Amino acid sequence: MRRRMVLGASTLLLVSGVLGACGGKDKDASDGPVTIEFWHNYDAGSGQVDVLEKLIKEFEAENKNVTVKQVYLEWEALKNNVVSGASTGTLPDVLRGDIAFVPQFQSLNVLEEMSALSDYKDAAAGVLESANSTARMGDKFYGIAANTNTKILFYNKTLLQQANADAPKTLDDVWATARKASGGKTIGMVEPWTGVWNVGPYIWSEGGDVLAPDNSTAQGYINGPIAVKVIQQLADLYKEKALAGSSMDPGAIGDTDGWAAGAYAMELDGPWREKSNKEAGVDYGATPLPAGSKGSISVLGGEDFMMFKTSDDAHKKAAWAFIKFMTSKHAQVEMAKVGQLPVNKEALSAPESIEAMPLLPVFSEALKTAKSRPVTAKWGEMENIIATKVAEAITGQKAVKTALDEAASEIDKLIAGK
Amino acid sequence: MRRRRRIKPFMAVRYALLILGLVVTVIPMFYMVISSLKSNKSTFSYPPQLFPNPHEITLENYVYIFRHVSFLKYLGNTLFTALMTVLLSAVISSVLAYSFARFKFPGKSLFYGMIISVMLIPGLAMIIPQFEMAVRFGMVNHLWGVILFYSAWVTPFSTFLLKGYIEDNIPRELDEAIYMDGGSIYSVYLFVIMPMASPAIAAISILNYLFPFEELGWSQTILKSDEIRTLPVAITMFFQAHNRTDWGYVFAMTSLSMVPVVLFYLALQKYFISGLSSGSIKG
Amino acid sequence: MSNMAGKRSVWRTDWRLYTLLLPGLIFVAIFTFYPIGKMLAMSFFDWRIGYRQTSEFVGLENYSQVLADPIALRALVNTLMYAVVTVPLQMALGLIVALLINGITKFSVTFRLAYYFPVITSWVVVALLFRYIFSNQGLLNYFLADVLHVVGEPVGWLSSRVPALVVAMFLGIWKGIGWNMVIFLAALQAVPKEYYEASSIDGLNGRQQFFRITLPSIRGTLLFALVMLCIGAFNTYTPIAVLTGGNPAHQTEMVLTWMYFQTFNVTGKMGYSAALSIIITLIITSITVILFRTLARKGE
Repeated sequence: MRRRMVLGASTLLLVSGVLGACGGKDKDASDGPVTIEFWHNYDAGSGQVDVLEKLIKEFEAENKNVTVKQVYLEWEALKNNVVSGASTGTLPDVLRGDIAFVPQFQSLNVLEEMSALSDYKDAAAGVLESANSTARMGDKFYGIAANTNTKILFYNKTLLQQANADAPKTLDDVWATARKASGGKTIGMVEPWTGVWNVGPYIWSEGGDVLAPDNSTAQGYINGPIAVKVIQQLADLYKEKALAGSSMDPGAIGDTDGWAAGAYAMELDGPWREKSNKEAGVDYGATPLPAGSKGSISVLGGEDFMMFKTSDDAHKKAAWAFIKFMTSKHAQVEMAKVGQLPVNKEALSAPESIEAMPLLPVFSEALKTAKSRPVTAKWGEMENIIATKVAEAITGQKAVKTALDEAASEIDKLIAGK
Repeated sequence: MRRRRRIKPFMAVRYALLILGLVVTVIPMFYMVISSLKSNKSTFSYPPQLFPNPHEITLENYVYIFRHVSFLKYLGNTLFTALMTVLLSAVISSVLAYSFARFKFPGKSLFYGMIISVMLIPGLAMIIPQFEMAVRFGMVNHLWGVILFYSAWVTPFSTFLLKGYIEDNIPRELDEAIYMDGGSIYSVYLFVIMPMASPAIAAISILNYLFPFEELGWSQTILKSDEIRTLPVAITMFFQAHNRTDWGYVFAMTSLSMVPVVLFYLALQKYFISGLSSGSIKG
Repeated sequence: MSNMAGKRSVWRTDWRLYTLLLPGLIFVAIFTFYPIGKMLAMSFFDWRIGYRQTSEFVGLENYSQVLADPIALRALVNTLMYAVVTVPLQMALGLIVALLINGITKFSVTFRLAYYFPVITSWVVVALLFRYIFSNQGLLNYFLADVLHVVGEPVGWLSSRVPALVVAMFLGIWKGIGWNMVIFLAALQAVPKEYYEASSIDGLNGRQQFFRITLPSIRGTLLFALVMLCIGAFNTYTPIAVLTGGNPAHQTEMVLTWMYFQTFNVTGKMGYSAALSIIITLIITSITVILFRTLARKGE
């Protein structure tokens, strides 16, 4: 279907070219009906896809000749489909995906440089600058922020009470509380993965980092004394059964299921945890990540909208119109009601959003100091190295220092280009 | 006399061993079905229960998957894919098997060797070049994009089994009889090979029918829109879409998705053993 | 007589044969030969899958990268261990079940059906089920710790390399018994009854019958199963992907899960993946050839 549309549109373009309608620009093509394909991973379970469908209808009503075909793909499938589609140009016109995809997809040479669009600046001015920085590589933007999020510390009040523990005030408190709350079927802390998304906030809050600020080396950062100390702390916790997670231990109960079953007492996690805990009837509290010696620095997450080089002009035009619609106050407030933290500045402070997301103020506070992961071409590969080595360290397969030294030298090899 | 007396306890031991093995084999299945009958919320409660209280048994998971998940659509897609795969591969592999079993032609052993060696290559390994082709043929997001590839993947093994069966079990005299009557090789294929090889075709069909019910890597790559997904893709997507594990719904879907496979197997099972008898390698 | 029939067939190799042969051959060629060839080519390039990117010829670079990669080698070792354990055990258990079923008179069809159940259940489903059963707070640990009290605290079945691989092997064996049972049952039923009758008169007992008549008669089928199962073991993907995802820290990767990870999670190391595929293919091919050389000849 879409193939035919593309074919039709390109034939039109060709014909208009032959007729010498050079002055017409892409007018001829955009007059005809256009169907844009939109890949996303909005969560169907929390009603986000229903809201998306409603929003699409509104958009289509405003833009009579544009039809939006939305395709849900689970996070990993979304990425895999772009990777496998890149070689052949089988890509959507718009994609809404993890901010970490931007550098990865850019290395596949498929992303449209959106800062080249004439009114990109105006659109970007309406969204949070920090969130939009995740779409920047060098001085160009390859996307625009769709939603933002960061992680805050959730704790199970019932379990902490049983352990006679208060909500932690400092990062050291977090570790102490994790130990205190562990025992029996309860584990103090859960981290589902060991990437920088997970261990970054702890390292940053203690004043360390994973790469040099200019991304030129990992030596002395990921294996620096601060990172080593933090990972050692996690390794100790793991050994004492005060820390679990499915990538360190595939037999561990998944974090969402574990919250519902009362198996986990604390987790540094994003806005979705609020909703799942409410559904599961967990009595929980939340606070920004308790400060380490250098403050409370959480990790910036969220999604960006991206456009692809493979679309023709008519589709790009329609895609950009759709993206602007989705980042408008109205669409962002609607999405906030089903758990997406807005990036639109007006939507962020709208009373409706705050009503729908009681934790919005906590997240807003955490967002002020949240840090984005390095945006560099081989980041995906680098984070995989870190995740592997940190997991080896935490599960005790290697000494912490050894594992992190290996990570540093492997990353530096990547930076040097083999 | 003595032998006969010893048979009875011996038989009892056989049955006992078989039943013991059966328990191990069937328990996980039983557990799946039981879990699908428990409320979705209680499937991950600790301690886990093998036998739930009768009053806990509920059909709410089944109601849910019919009401909120397009289960019937996924089932229909899977059935269509499965039947087309079975048909296509039966035709292609029987024709190939007949040609290789009965005729000599230049390059015969080379071609046969190539077809057989396809079995040695991990299917997933070819995903990128195959995806490129699927794009070129416009088969992305189309059920035929899985059907054609599935048929091609299962053809080597089917051809191998059928060729053996034809060589072992269909006497050449029958071919000759047709030729005597002035029939062509088409008549032989239609009136001798097809009917005589039907047990073997039934046997390979059972294997091929199962394929779309379990293949994930390729179908996930090709079937992007929700309305054309097959069951494995739909179940996996559903499994991950909710950020949590809705075991109750997942088990309800997996239990139901077994029904058409079991029915197909039951329908053809009487041919299964005899059809596989050529599954051997001659020196 | 048969020679004449053969000649006739040769003579009949007219154009009609090609109308039968060619469509099938072309179909298989397009959908399998072509991608295999392409994959072989990719393995010699730093294959860029990006949009309109050009790939650079790197010779054997991808191969040396694979062979220098400790995780790839560990995945290879894991896969070999998986094959060495699951293949013989599946065959032995499948053969035992087949012998038992072949020897009973009542309910043989029922047993045959029931034992085949795991085979017709999808890998995804059974792997999920096993993960559910073997997780730290799963059914098995519950029975061991809280019902039978044989272990103090839950066993981390999936938590580290060896036990997790054992669970995967158990899953593979559990799912494979039915297939072996059916194949062997078919072979057992094809052994002429007269052999056994004659041997009874000769005074052979049950065990002697098994080793002197049954085993030699089904040796072709045993070899067939052996080859097919070895290929299958190297194709193991879903059990590990679902059970552990290769975790922790890639300790439990199989060759295919590692290849898939390299292809998709590491933004398309296509050349590396293609080289890895070719290496597995070479290994499987040599195993097959060795099996044929050592086992098939002796049978004659």
